[in-house]
Amino acid sequence: MNSKVYIKAATQISIQQPLSEQWMTAPLAYAEPYVRSQDPNFRDWLNPLESRRMGKILKRALVTALKVMQDSGIHQPDAIITGTGLGCIENTELFLGQLCREGEEMLKPTAFMQSTHNTISSLIAIHCRCHGYNTTYSHKHLSFDAALLDAFTQMQLGDISTALVTGNDELTPSWFSILRRTGSVGQPGQPPASEASVAMMLTTDPADALCEVEQVRLHYGAATASFADSDIPPFDFKQLFGECYTASGLGVYAAAHLLHAGQASRLQIVNENEEGSSCIQLKSVL
Amino acid sequence: MEPIVITGIGVVSAIGIGKAATLESLRSQRTGIGPMRFLKTSHREFPVGEVKLSDDEMKQRLGITAEPTTRTALMGMLAMQEALEESNLLTSHPSYPIALVSGTTVGGMDKSEQYYLDYLDNDTRNDYIRTHDCGTTTQLMADHFGLFTMATSVSTACSSAANAIILGANLIRSRQTEMAVVGGAECITKFHLNGFNSLMILDHDQCRPFDADRAGLNLGEGAAWLVIETAESARRRGAKVIARLSGFGNACDAFHQTASSDDGEGAFLAMQKALKMADLQPQDINYVNAHGTGTPNNDASESQALLRLFGSTLPPISSTKGMTGHTTSASGSVEAAICLLALQHSLVPANYGWSRPMENGIKPVCEVLTDYPLQHVMCNSFGFGGNDSSMIFSRL
Repeated sequence: MNSKVYIKAATQISIQQPLSEQWMTAPLAYAEPYVRSQDPNFRDWLNPLESRRMGKILKRALVTALKVMQDSGIHQPDAIITGTGLGCIENTELFLGQLCREGEEMLKPTAFMQSTHNTISSLIAIHCRCHGYNTTYSHKHLSFDAALLDAFTQMQLGDISTALVTGNDELTPSWFSILRRTGSVGQPGQPPASEASVAMMLTTDPADALCEVEQVRLHYGAATASFADSDIPPFDFKQLFGECYTASGLGVYAAAHLLHAGQASRLQIVNENEEGSSCIQLKSVL
Repeated sequence: MEPIVITGIGVVSAIGIGKAATLESLRSQRTGIGPMRFLKTSHREFPVGEVKLSDDEMKQRLGITAEPTTRTALMGMLAMQEALEESNLLTSHPSYPIALVSGTTVGGMDKSEQYYLDYLDNDTRNDYIRTHDCGTTTQLMADHFGLFTMATSVSTACSSAANAIILGANLIRSRQTEMAVVGGAECITKFHLNGFNSLMILDHDQCRPFDADRAGLNLGEGAAWLVIETAESARRRGAKVIARLSGFGNACDAFHQTASSDDGEGAFLAMQKALKMADLQPQDINYVNAHGTGTPNNDASESQALLRLFGSTLPPISSTKGMTGHTTSASGSVEAAICLLALQHSLVPANYGWSRPMENGIKPVCEVLTDYPLQHVMCNSFGFGGNDSSMIFSRL
């Protein structure tokens, strides 16, 4: 009971340089209201035959997962847990658009098969032959936070000692235009609407860790994150990575690397939204 | 592990609104599957297990006039009301935190499939845009009752509700909360009816899980919730304890996005983990509510997993999807509720629609068994992507 939890490796594909921490010294800045991710060369990581049919979100999810497995040396984690606000929205829209425009007679299964939220976590498990715990959370901006909470909880309980935690959201031009109608993204003064794939390996073993995860708390309702520690300065990750359902995942990723670089001794990610809030506290192990 | 007890159950499906109606259908072996009444699809040839209330009728029962709503949220609220009432949470609730963990996959797809072209082209349906995602359906339900301090949504396709129960239980085991309302809700949508049709896994007739001639599943819909808490919390509140959640397991088949492996590895591992946590042997299980969808693939794979786990001395096994239809994301909690009714009322539900044994398969219970005392029951719930989970409920 109450094992400590560490982040051993973490990476991202986002609107910053992919699979790297170049944002620390040379961040990319954007003036546009909507920016898509900077994709790496997927062929460096994936067999083209295997990835031919994968949507962008699946390629990004798999590559970020493979990178943290490589960086951590943990190829068969005890758990694979994913957070995604919208799931595989590109394939969802493909199937939905055909359904709405062409009717119900000529629909093919390809898009439907890759449209569910849990396609991502399952794909990683299939690719790595991981039979361990596998689940997916989809709760708007708190999706990644719930995935992290699940892993953190099971590690504290001693049920698992390694977990791959990922956050994945893609944003198609059409879904961006839909969300913009509601005023939630793409407004003047807001960070750009973006996409994100983030993966991190959590372990109960402190060796070579990037940082320690001290606390993961979720709170529902209008109340602010009452668990936040006022002594720890807030960390604004949306300026770097934009606004998307997985933004807090990028916040945790970035904070882990900043702590590892010795730029702070503690950092907290406070994620406040109309659907609730979370507070994730990380501590340096240097 | 420290006992996690169940103090409230609520269930809505094709076989009844509420526990009493559900129990009556189980006793009289009545299927809720029939011709479509509410879903507006051109595929009227498929029988479905619809909840026998329109959205307007549900809103009336709940006293809701506001839009936007989703059918999934409305069914979820109806079932949640029953669970909260049984657990004395509608009249008074404790000062300590209560978590809501909800399993769903379609979220607000019932609205998106009506209004998607408007979402793209004009501002007439903007209120519904925010109901598309899974989280909003959970929020609609949470806001209706207003007693939750934490809310999240699990989406693992057809095992969503089971995995919601598992997260809730782990939050209690780790003392992050003393109580949780866990389960799931899902309405039938054109989206997944057509998806399942394109995969050719829908039966054009009444489905027949574990039958030699099974030809696919019938879609159902519904919602079910369990109020779970520490034994100490139930004692403190004076809540009546119905049963115990004694074990659970989640494993991944890691085989294929929409098919199960021949040997049912994921299912086998999930059941094995659940037994280990409950500190039970296979022979201690008195009834298994199988996932049993009626597709050739699932029932063959699940049979292999059951035969591997239980050997030649199988306990009574049935799938209740021949009565409820496959309630997809809600099936884990709808069937957990059925298992708890079975425990409470000493009955083994029948595997409706079965007539001929399948090759290398299990032979299910085909007539309801009554006055059949049960101590430990197992509930299986599997999903696309090989997201397989199993739970064990025990009499106190």
